[in-house]
Amino acid sequence: MMYDKDTSMIERIFSMFATVTDEGHGSVVLVFFIGVVFGSIIQYAKVHKFEKIGGFAMLKDTVVPKMLFLAIGLASIGLYFMVEMGYASYHVKPIMLGGLIIGGTIFGIAMAIFGKCPGTGPISVAEGRIDIFVGALGGILGGLVFTVYYDQFKVIMGESLGKITLTGYFAEHQAITALIFGLALVAISFAIPLIEEIDEDDIGYQK
Amino acid sequence: MIKKIPWWLGAIFMSLLLLFTFSVFGADRPIGASTYVPYFAGILFDLDPDKYTYLKEIHNPGSWEGVMLLGVFFGALFNALFITKTFHLTIVPAAWKKYKNNSVTSRLVWSFISGFLLIIGARLAGGCTSGHFLSGMTQTAISSMIFGGVVMLSLVITGKLFYKDNKNDV
Repeated sequence: MMYDKDTSMIERIFSMFATVTDEGHGSVVLVFFIGVVFGSIIQYAKVHKFEKIGGFAMLKDTVVPKMLFLAIGLASIGLYFMVEMGYASYHVKPIMLGGLIIGGTIFGIAMAIFGKCPGTGPISVAEGRIDIFVGALGGILGGLVFTVYYDQFKVIMGESLGKITLTGYFAEHQAITALIFGLALVAISFAIPLIEEIDEDDIGYQK
Repeated sequence: MIKKIPWWLGAIFMSLLLLFTFSVFGADRPIGASTYVPYFAGILFDLDPDKYTYLKEIHNPGSWEGVMLLGVFFGALFNALFITKTFHLTIVPAAWKKYKNNSVTSRLVWSFISGFLLIIGARLAGGCTSGHFLSGMTQTAISSMIFGGVVMLSLVITGKLFYKDNKNDV
């Protein structure tokens, strides 16, 4: 019995690689590489640490919002022109008010207590944070519950009000909207005062 | 060896990575990092994708993010062991000790609960810090701005209520 279960799990992991290969959103190697770079940027900037994310919740550290707003500000301007030139396209998520407001509230509470988000958790597990490994088990259970009770959760999420973007809304002034949006976020990023909470346990920390 | 980069350099690298991933030269899709959790849960608990609508819906994005997060994990493990040397086993974060308590049980129980809620919240909203905040707001998506606003508010209120201010310490 155990053998059968293992085989099917290995088969499903191979099927994951096969799906990525067939899907046409980059090869397995490229997608893996995107993950390595994504994780390394976060790890070197130290924004995966409890002191940074939990610290932001306590308003004792502002590196996370500063980095987020600067990254989005720069990328939004770049993406607009890349889409215009045909090098990229938009993949916008729908407005589902119930899901966004209730889900966002739950997500914010969890992020403040956990001091991680789903993308930063694996980095901390890789650095030996046992509490985050335990939290990841909770996350897996969350994923299981959501999958099993999807029909009920869908009721909370509500109807889609469409995939609206700011640049789409101001369709006649798209370029200027993208520029103002991007520059405003860059300005917000630099306007937020820099406050840092340092992880005293972090032996690798070199100021 | 470099062990730390300033936040602004991290932001510049992150914006370049986002643009590369969005571009037809990269993956022609946004970065996301929460769909992989129910996808992995489906594999671990051996749930039949034919029986669960959600597993069917997330089959493609779940696979993509699954591979990406393997990259995140093994990349971070390599860095932690050989470059940043940040690998060490700990249970209670330093700031948790400072602003909450010294209890291992408290930290582990809260970690499990908040890890659970984190995924429920992200999947209800259809994205997380990566999918909504980074990728969504880069596209000036209204849904992501609503999510971002709600999360920041909820995060800061929870931070205020859940932790103690450490003024009377030492």
